[in-house]
Formats: sequence, C-alpha cells, structure tokens
Amino acid sequence: METPVAVKPKIAFFDFTSCEGCQLTVVDSLADHIELLSVVEIVQFREAMSERGEDYQIAFIEGSCTRPSDEPRLKAIREQADIVVALGACAHLGGINSIRNRQPLQDVRAYVYGEEAELFETYPARPISAVIDVDVSIPGCPINPREFVQTVKMLLQGRQPEPPDYPLCIECKSLENVCVYLRGKTCLGPITRAGCDAICPAYGDGCEGCRGIISNPNYEAMKAVLDWHGLDMAEVEAKTTMFLTYQTMNMDEKKENGHGH
Amino acid sequence: MDFKIMPKSALPDWVKKLTILYRVVAPVPKHGQIVFDEITDPSTLTMLYPQSVLPPKKYLFPQHEVMLNYKLDGSWFEANIESEPTVVLGIHTCDLHAVKLFDRIFSQGYADQHYQARRDDIFLVSIECLTPCTDESFCRSMGTLSATSVFDLHLIDLGEDYAIEIGSDRGESLLNGFKNVFNATSTDEERVNDRLKDKWAEFPYRLDFDVTELSGLLAENFSSEYWDELGEICLACGQCTQVCPTCYCFDITDERSLTGEIGQRTRTWDSCQIDMFAEVAGGHNFRKSRAARQRHRFMRKGKYQMDAYGLVGCVGCGRCAEACLVGITPVKTFNAIHKRQLEKEEA
Ligand code: SF4
Ligand code: SF4
Ligand code: SF4
Ligand code: SF4
Ligand code: SF4
Repeated sequence: METPVAVKPKIAFFDFTSCEGCQLTVVDSLADHIELLSVVEIVQFREAMSERGEDYQIAFIEGSCTRPSDEPRLKAIREQADIVVALGACAHLGGINSIRNRQPLQDVRAYVYGEEAELFETYPARPISAVIDVDVSIPGCPINPREFVQTVKMLLQGRQPEPPDYPLCIECKSLENVCVYLRGKTCLGPITRAGCDAICPAYGDGCEGCRGIISNPNYEAMKAVLDWHGLDMAEVEAKTTMFLTYQTMNMDEKKENGHGH
Repeated sequence: MDFKIMPKSALPDWVKKLTILYRVVAPVPKHGQIVFDEITDPSTLTMLYPQSVLPPKKYLFPQHEVMLNYKLDGSWFEANIESEPTVVLGIHTCDLHAVKLFDRIFSQGYADQHYQARRDDIFLVSIECLTPCTDESFCRSMGTLSATSVFDLHLIDLGEDYAIEIGSDRGESLLNGFKNVFNATSTDEERVNDRLKDKWAEFPYRLDFDVTELSGLLAENFSSEYWDELGEICLACGQCTQVCPTCYCFDITDERSLTGEIGQRTRTWDSCQIDMFAEVAGGHNFRKSRAARQRHRFMRKGKYQMDAYGLVGCVGCGRCAEACLVGITPVKTFNAIHKRQLEKEEA
C-alpha cells in the first residue's frame, strides 16, 4: 500500500489563450474541497494569488497554443514539471480558439485586430499536446469540478486519472433524458466523451462535443446521422467546429489521404 | 386461475395505501416520455403507457451502485447492500420475462447478494398488454406477450374493472384489508378469458420465422457478412444496451479517500458496444471492430442466453429499436440473417 503523501507537492496554474473559466472552476472547486489545500502547496496561480514560485511538480495548463511565443513558454513548463495537466477544452482540444483554423489567417487577424493586424503574431490554434507531452487531460468547457477534484486526488495518490472514454449517449440514456434528436435537434453525443452528466441534453440542447471525441468514433456514421436529420454539409461542418475543429480537420485530412476508415 | 376483481375507480385508493407501507414505483410521464419513478400521488400514474425509456430493471440492478466499503490495509471491509421494500407497479409482461432471466443469471454460480436483496424486497405488480405498446415492439414473436410466473400480482384491464391474478402470497398480502377487492364470479372468469383470447389478433408476428429457430440460425451465421454491414453504420453509442431489460454488463471502479486509507467499490452499467469494453490488461482488445461487437450483442440476445439459461435473451420490448439513431433493430437483423440463410440454402 502506498503511504499518504509526506511532502506537500507544489502545484502551479498557467494560462494561455482561454477565457479563464476553467481556472474559475478550479477556485470554486478548491473552496468546496479545502481538504485539498492541506495536502498541496500552490506556488503559482495568477487567477487567485500574486506570489510566484518556479519549483512546482505539477503544472495545470489552461488555454491553447495560438502563437509562436507560446511554444517556448510551454516547453519551459514541461521542463520543470513532473506532471503536466491540460485543463479544459482549450488546452485539451484547441477548443473554441481553433474555430479560426478553418479560415485564412489574414482574414481572421484583420477581423479581430483591424488595421493593427500585422502587429499581432498568431497562427492556427492547437491543443498543448501538439507542442509538449501531456500526462493528463481534464476535458470540458468549462471543466467539471468533480472531475478536477478526482484528478488531483488521483495524482496525489500516484494513480493515473483516466477520463471516461465512452460516448455521452451512455450517460444520457442512463439518466433517461429525452434524446434531443426526438426534439428535432442534433447532438454529437454518440462520438463525444462522456463525463459531464450529459448536461446539455438534460436541458434540451444537443451536445457540441466540448469534452472531445472518444478514441475510436464512427465519424462517418455520425456525419450521416446529421445529414439524415437535415443538416447540409456546411451545417455539419459548423456542428463539428465549435470545439472540435483541430480534431475533425485532422480526421478529414487523414481520410483524404486514404488512411481513415 | 386464482383472481380477484377491483373496480378501476378504486385503483388510486389502493395505490395510495401502498405508498404508506412501501416505496411504490410506477410509469409516469416525464417530458413527453414515460419513465419509472417513485410515486406518492396516484394521480401521476398511468397504467396504459408506451414503453418506458429504461426498463424497471433499474430497481433490481441500478445504473450505479456502491458495493463495498473497505480499508486499504485490509483490516476492514463491509458489503454495502441498499434495498427497501418496493412495489413495482404496472410492469409489462416483456419486462417480467426479463426479470425471470435475471433471476437465473444472478443466482446461478455466484449468487449476487446485491441483486438478491433487492429482489427479495420487490413486489412485481404487472399488467397485461392488450395492444402493442409501440410500433417497434415484437413481444408476440418472442413469446413474451403473456405473463410469466415471476409476478406477485397481475392486472388485466376489463374496461370498468381490473382482474387481478394472484401470483404469490406476498402479492396477495398487498390486497389485505383493502375493501374494494372482490372474489371473481364465473362471469368475471369469462370476461377475463375473452379479453385474453381477443387480444392476440392485435399483435402481429414480426419475425419471419419461429423464435425456436433463432439460436440455430445465429449459430450458422456467425461468419455472416451482415455483421460487417452493421459495423459500418453502427455509431457504437451504446444506447441499445443501456435501454435493454436483459443487458446486465457492469464495470467496477474503486475510489480512495484523499489520504488513501478508505476505499469504495462501485459498479456501473457497461456496454459491449463501446470500444473499450473488451480491452483487457496489456491493452489487447478482443472485440475491436464494431462488427464483432454488434455480432456479440445479437448472439447474446438470440443464442448465448438460451444456451446458458434456457431463456431467449431478447424479450421483444423494442426499446433498442426506438433508441438507435441508425435504425439497427433486432427484427431487421434477425430477419435479414434469416433471408440470407434461405438464399444460401436455395443456391
Ligand atoms: S441526446 Fe445526444 S447524448 Fe443523449 S442519447 Fe441523444 S444523441 Fe445521445
Ligand atoms: S453535453 Fe457535450 S457540449 Fe455539453 S458539456 Fe457535455 S460534452 Fe460539453
Ligand atoms: S444504438 Fe444503434 S448505433 Fe448505437 S450502438 Fe446500438 S446499434 Fe449501434
Ligand atoms: S434487444 Fe432490444 S428489443 Fe430485445 S429486449 Fe433488448 S431492448 Fe428489448
Ligand atoms: S413489448 Fe409487448 S409485452 Fe412488452 S410492453 Fe410492449 S406490448 Fe407489452
């Protein structure tokens, strides 16, 4: 049996391109589980404190990599930390930031920054795993507090946390929600990773896939279902673009190159 | 047949009385669907209902269940058995057949004490179906359209009255002291017989062959290309197994307290349709393809349960067919395999 943690591990939080919503969820989760604060020492957390320590063992990274200068920063964190955790959809998937990947970059820059566009360096948004090795991901937009607490607990116990790798429909059906397809809407539940208690379908909305795609989805069948429910190609693309642009563009590319199935 | 008569108008009073003594669960409307839920007010209950989203099996084998609490150093452990006396009211006969199968599965070999405790606490009050519950049901083909021995009380709608067949002493005890139940007369017996006779015409056979041929048919078609065709279109979403009254696969997880001294073991419904289901230690997955998983599902429903427990593993409730977004259904699958078999034999 493992002994309980003797020395308090030092943990740090970092943000890249994101809305900071996941860090806010962290603040809330810690407030609800103060016992965690007695077993770790937080050395960096811009959202909640001003001190900064650089001797952390566990790094939680929020946000996606969206510009060249993000890379050395990410690599420096990887260098220092024993464990790197991607916190939320932006870090885990590229997330909302990657919507722009489907458009020409100059247009996006001009749209956002107007005449000063050239002053801002930027490139297609990517999950942090595209730049550095990631040990653990906590999915979701925003993250689920229960899952965050569970992940921290498991890391402290030296166990590997594994977010569910089965589709949302499993969870949704066990809650007896009305399938939103019966409400005339569409849903990415069949290919999306469960773990959010199917919160969107529970409130009558289709899942947009913020927790990412399961390991082995039948993406072609999913697109066919969206098509049967009246979505044209542009709408199918929009549906899979909210959080999943980086993943679905890769899947489409692989298929074009003849690797996909 | 030993039965009683209760005027329909007395049902709410009877149910009200039951709710004082027991937890009563019954079909209730929720967001335009029917779900089994606890009732305290008999006016929310509906005895004539299309299929519930989940079968009442959730009261015997819940979606999540804490099984064990323990200390990690092994100095203490205790099974967690949660059960309370519960009346399941209005269970359809197809679902009764599924309970009969569960009784065998959970008692043979290793008897599951969690299931047994709940089962002992449950009163099954079933209702005879007089018209098909949904377009997808095919109980007649599966032989589940009439009640099977496991009920405690069984209700038959006679228009103004319910005939109540007594299945057990425990069932009879639910009627004790209730003044609005009467002994059946010979006219009542005739009314019941007419009802039971007339209803069959309402239910079409939906399999193109007799269910007794199903097990052999599937055995011969283990290598059919049809499974690959299903694998192409199946989303592997697992809805079909989640809603099925005869599915009982579960996953076990252990959670530890923060400092690692106390552990808790939970079981959660699992699905053979999901990618990770057949992955074993070392990462090998012996049912990686969706085709193999669909085949496994239908083999279980049509053959394996029959081989192991002597009962067919699909009770024809149609829930999986209603749920599936790509239109994979047992009726279509079994008929398609049958058709190809005939073509093979002719060729
Ligand atoms: S609402 Fe979405 S997640 Fe729920 S069952 Fe339907 S497709 Fe699956
Ligand atoms: S239902 Fe889908 S979009 Fe909504 S929180 Fe869950 S994973 Fe995210
Ligand atoms: S419900 Fe349909 S699509 Fe989903 S796993 Fe079952 S057969 Fe496949
Ligand atoms: S396989 Fe489908 S029709 Fe058969 S019992 Fe299960 S859910 Fe009902
Ligand atoms: S499948 Fe048949 S037995 Fe079951 S509820 Fe429907 S009509 Fe009744």
